[in-house]
Amino acid sequence: MSIATQTQSDLTVVRWQRGVPVFGVPVRTRNFYFLLALTVLGFVLVIYRQVAGLGAATGLSDGFPWGIWKTFNVMTLTALGSGSFPIGIAAWLFHKRRLHAVMRTTLLISFLVYFTGLLAIAVDVGRPWNVYNFFSVFRWNTISPMWEVLWCMPLYCLFPLFLENTPPVLEQAYYFFPPIRGLVVWIVPFIRMTYPYVVALAYTLPMMHQSALGGLMLMAGTQVQALWQTPLLPLLYMWAAAWIGVATTIGAMMLCCLTWKLPLDQSILDELVELMVGLIKWWAIVRLADIIIRALFFGQFKAMLTPWYLPLLFIAEMCLIVIPALRLKNKQVCESHYQLFLSCFVIVLGGLGYRFDPTTFAYRHWSRTYYTPAVIEILISLGFICFCIICFLWAVKRLPILPAPVEQWYESENYYRKIYPYIQLSGYGDTNQYRPHYAD
Amino acid sequence: MLLSRRDLLKLGVVGGAACALPVSATASEHAVVPPPNAVGMLYDSTRCIGCKSCVVACAQANELVPDTTLDNIHQAPNDLNAHTKNIIKLYKGTGAEANEYAFVKRQCMHCLDPFCVAACPFNALEKNKQTGVVSWTSEKCIGCRYCQIACPYEIPKFEWDAFNARVVKCEFCGPRLAKNQEPACTYVCPTHAVIFGRRDVLLNEAHKRITNSPGKYWEKRVYGEKEAGGTQVLYLSHVAYAKLGLPSLPPDEHPGRWMRWSEMAQKWFLLPIAVYLGIVAKLKENFREHEVEMNEEHKKTGLIPQI
Repeated sequence: MSIATQTQSDLTVVRWQRGVPVFGVPVRTRNFYFLLALTVLGFVLVIYRQVAGLGAATGLSDGFPWGIWKTFNVMTLTALGSGSFPIGIAAWLFHKRRLHAVMRTTLLISFLVYFTGLLAIAVDVGRPWNVYNFFSVFRWNTISPMWEVLWCMPLYCLFPLFLENTPPVLEQAYYFFPPIRGLVVWIVPFIRMTYPYVVALAYTLPMMHQSALGGLMLMAGTQVQALWQTPLLPLLYMWAAAWIGVATTIGAMMLCCLTWKLPLDQSILDELVELMVGLIKWWAIVRLADIIIRALFFGQFKAMLTPWYLPLLFIAEMCLIVIPALRLKNKQVCESHYQLFLSCFVIVLGGLGYRFDPTTFAYRHWSRTYYTPAVIEILISLGFICFCIICFLWAVKRLPILPAPVEQWYESENYYRKIYPYIQLSGYGDTNQYRPHYAD
Repeated sequence: MLLSRRDLLKLGVVGGAACALPVSATASEHAVVPPPNAVGMLYDSTRCIGCKSCVVACAQANELVPDTTLDNIHQAPNDLNAHTKNIIKLYKGTGAEANEYAFVKRQCMHCLDPFCVAACPFNALEKNKQTGVVSWTSEKCIGCRYCQIACPYEIPKFEWDAFNARVVKCEFCGPRLAKNQEPACTYVCPTHAVIFGRRDVLLNEAHKRITNSPGKYWEKRVYGEKEAGGTQVLYLSHVAYAKLGLPSLPPDEHPGRWMRWSEMAQKWFLLPIAVYLGIVAKLKENFREHEVEMNEEHKKTGLIPQI
């Protein structure tokens, strides 16, 4: 009780200024080992799936050719990792300078979520030995949304996202591994030189493949129920990814800060909430307007109401998204940690529902074949998610990623000097020894 | 400023109309042009006796392992699957239509604008430019199964049990066509319920049958003439096509309709490239400002700036 009120009163003065490792917290906790066990199990089962084939390892059938690996791990969960592009665009292009503080966190989440999404695609592909076709230009079918997904996702994850995530690693290497300090100093100017080009790619590629993920279901035509199927599906999918990503970032930051008792910067959270609510508002307006127009002028009203459970699903989905978003317009809700976290959580749930429903519940709803994911399938999917979480936990505890006030940085300096007395820590909070390598 | 507000409005209207014209022109042209030598099949449900010779002949011609899951003796598949490219199904009415029955031959429809071909990322499924046959190439397929998601007839089947899984669907007996032979199923059909020929000839034949015996065929129309932009496998039946499991698809229900806007946006990647260049230009400017700010902060706090 006292702790909660204390942080609450501190909020007014706290400003996030620098990424600081969460120091003094052990990486290898009991939960860590639990998640690690699930990860290892998942990866062992991946070997089984590769040897035994898709039919033996999954509950897939000709009626439901795409299971949770594609529909959930790729088409749904990658939305969680899409926070970096709306936040980045707001920070870089719309001068929301304060949002730079959360960039490292959201970039890390993006990279990990996308990486596990790629693993899921790799496991799901039925004839992996033919993947070399990526590079045979004359076989490309550039109209196919699948082609765009298969190209943009690895490209985004392994090129711009990877490069954007190198600065924390280089920084840590600079302080803690003196032998490669020269290398870091040599690399940094290159990063600064190419930064605008790489970052612009990091905004173009996610827009391309997130809309292509919507395009995947667009190609299914009337097989997807009319409440979800619309020519605007690519746009709505990409847009939804943007606010789901922002909501995930807020949620993840709050979870980290509250678990490890770190200060929260309310002004930045408010700015993120404003961004998210604005995105949701226009998204909901466009979606509802599109549905109303198609119902009234294109005679799809009847198709929208069959079967009976899909309109209910639609209403539930919209309520999960819109009600918390409306509540967040109230300042008091924003300032209560519990309310803010809960709202973001519910918004993420609704958003994931929006991304998942057209692939499974609203797809071929007349079909008599049912799909229940096999245990192996769920365990592999879970293994990938756990892998993502343990990587995140390791990274925030070892690398300067989570934002904190400068005082925290000095505290971490004292801490590291104590436990690594043999490592020279020049520059780490030291004013005299370091001069910048770039021109002033 | 030389342009007045009114001029600007006028310009906007003219420009808008100019932009809208080509779009509305393509929107009205839903018809898909068949390939020049489009082959086809015409299946007349009223002539089919359900002997399933075509099912056996198909398996033989395509060297498919007989599907004996039903009783371990007979080749008796219960639906199209990885071992069955062609199947005869029976529709039996219930209630007031209890004595109504009809057979239906299900196989790939070889659409004029196929969803599977538009969906396939590496052109493993291709439509022959001359004959219009949609066929599958093993070494291009990565097994993403997007064709199965996209096909409105639920035709392509995946070999789930196999390690080197294939996508199985009717390919119009490609090797037999190359030898100037007709597909195995039309070759063996004892009652000529399914016949092979050029698509335009078969379409004429179907219309002739409808005019010769009015009242015999359902809605006096040929299924596949306009469905989903037209297909190369055509159906005639005395019961509703929906009862035979053939979905009712409007003539404009083909990839061209759904993907028109995204295709325009993706043409030569012009839109993404323009977006990219725009962002780069703005970002360079802002990045410079950002660096100045970072250096100021560095002077103030003495800490290495974080990118």
